[in-house]
Amino acid sequence: MTIATSWPARAARGFWRACVVLAVSAPVPVVWGAAVALAVWWGSPWAAIAPVVLACLGTVALSRPVSEVFRALVARWTGTVVAPGYREPAPVTRMSTGYWWNGTKYARTEKEAREDQELRLRFTDPATWRDVRFTVIAPLTAGLVAAVVPGGVVAAVLGLLQPSAAARSAGALALLVAVAAAPHAWRPVEAVTVRFLRPTRSMELSDRVAELTAQRADTTVAQAAEIRRIERDLHDGAQARLVALGMSLATAEKLLETDPEQARTLLRQARAGAAGSLSELRELVRGISPPVLTERGLVDAVRAFALDSPLPVTVEAAGPLRVDPPIESAVYFGITELVTNAVKHARAAAARVRVAHDGTGLVAEVEDDGDGGALVRAGGGLAGLRDRLAVFDGTLEIDSPTGGPTRARMMVPCESW
Amino acid sequence: MRIVVAEDLYLLRDGLVRLLGAYGHEVVATATTGPETLDALRRYEPEVAVIDVRMPPTQTDEGLRAALAARREVPGLPVLVLSQHVEQLYARELLADGAGGVGYLLKESVFEGDQFVEALERVAGGGTAMDPAVIAKLLSGGGADRMARLTERERSVLALMAEGLSNQAIARRLYLSESAISKYTTSLFGKLDLADDENGNRRVLAVLAYLNRL
Repeated sequence: MTIATSWPARAARGFWRACVVLAVSAPVPVVWGAAVALAVWWGSPWAAIAPVVLACLGTVALSRPVSEVFRALVARWTGTVVAPGYREPAPVTRMSTGYWWNGTKYARTEKEAREDQELRLRFTDPATWRDVRFTVIAPLTAGLVAAVVPGGVVAAVLGLLQPSAAARSAGALALLVAVAAAPHAWRPVEAVTVRFLRPTRSMELSDRVAELTAQRADTTVAQAAEIRRIERDLHDGAQARLVALGMSLATAEKLLETDPEQARTLLRQARAGAAGSLSELRELVRGISPPVLTERGLVDAVRAFALDSPLPVTVEAAGPLRVDPPIESAVYFGITELVTNAVKHARAAAARVRVAHDGTGLVAEVEDDGDGGALVRAGGGLAGLRDRLAVFDGTLEIDSPTGGPTRARMMVPCESW
Repeated sequence: MRIVVAEDLYLLRDGLVRLLGAYGHEVVATATTGPETLDALRRYEPEVAVIDVRMPPTQTDEGLRAALAARREVPGLPVLVLSQHVEQLYARELLADGAGGVGYLLKESVFEGDQFVEALERVAGGGTAMDPAVIAKLLSGGGADRMARLTERERSVLALMAEGLSNQAIARRLYLSESAISKYTTSLFGKLDLADDENGNRRVLAVLAYLNRL
């Protein structure tokens, strides 16, 4: 986007843009104009059917390219990005029968399957009907306003070429209007595009439903894996140790009379075994939910973690904020993962953690002085963290240029109490 | 000794009362919640209190808060805090007032009855009893490189000293003579630029303050 400050520059730019808006709004009215002209030329009311059907098809066919051009123009001129929200086609796969399946129908060839899918998608996608509505509305609003500028210029040229004084003054007036309107006439295109071309409420809702369904599936899988891990740890760890403990005690009981010395050794071992299972259970509990998090909340839990970390970690927090426990837990484990990454992958010498509530949500930032180059890769640790935060509509932003430093920011919308 | 026991789980409370009774100490009151604990500490002014960190009604750090609150009212009131997990954070909070008479141990330390009661008596006498796990965490923290100046033996003496043990007790634990221990303490105090203090408790607090600063 160029920045034009002087008035003539703005007027020239406005003139050009108004012409472009007019040109891209024109196709649909032109199609309809042609259809009506054809019907009138044929005369009979029955003869109007064919041109009208053709114009309808033309409108539908034109709606998507026209909408895309509008979206691109608005993004280029004003920086406002209007989300397209088109439905994604389902994958087309070859079945063992040799036929192609596109999600709704079998076809003999891949091309046929794709064309069928394209057509179905076009007619069932709510975005198509939104585009059609837009291509009808845009010429009548943004198109008409933009037409003032080139229209005024054309009128001025025609008027000034006339000999009569009245026509000449009308032409001069038209030129004045065109010139005055030039810097502004293209502007309504932004408002009209944003208002009529953004995803509709029902489209947003169905996207949201799809997103939540996927998240729920992810969460269920992650939860099941976590429960299996805990079960395995208990089964192979504490449970096995307690069985051994019971056996030692039973043996000691038996030996108490015949060999008290041996019994005493076994009892000592049993006590050591009990201490061992306790420390194992303690580690397991720490992995499920760190005790300090339960007892003191997020800020002190992060402080306790920082004290135990091999890396000097500064913790800055605005007050003892408390949020819902599931969010606290997700953010806590996010912070520990980011700090661990700083030690393990970025070879950082120090890290800084900031936790605060900014009015709309909990914000946690982790900064380190390591090598940087952290990436959110599919299936990687950071992607997993992002997914876990997404369950709460939270976000993870990573700024990690090669050579460092790495700055990570987690934000989860919630209330603090 | 007159002791108050605050622990919400019946089995553990009962076990503690019996253990202390076996060693000839009198449990004057038991408490099962945070507010009850604070109340008992105020009313009975025990010679020492054994307090669990996590207790009802909120199942958070009720016991620890009651202990800290009681010590704000009665500075140096001896408390031995027990927990399923030890945190440097809590240890620092307990030691922060520098008044002594503080213990912070893992619950399984009661397995070693003799050592547990010895620690309790030390706390009652105004000394400190820190769990080896907390001391290990303090030692491996940010000051690990300064600790590298110490020899293996000096480090283990420092750790036991930080737990609150006297030279005599350290000597017993390491199977060394008391004079050997005082030689180690002199050399490690010199290496860490700490003033050696004749008063055992002040010395422990100096060591803990040093570790705390790291």
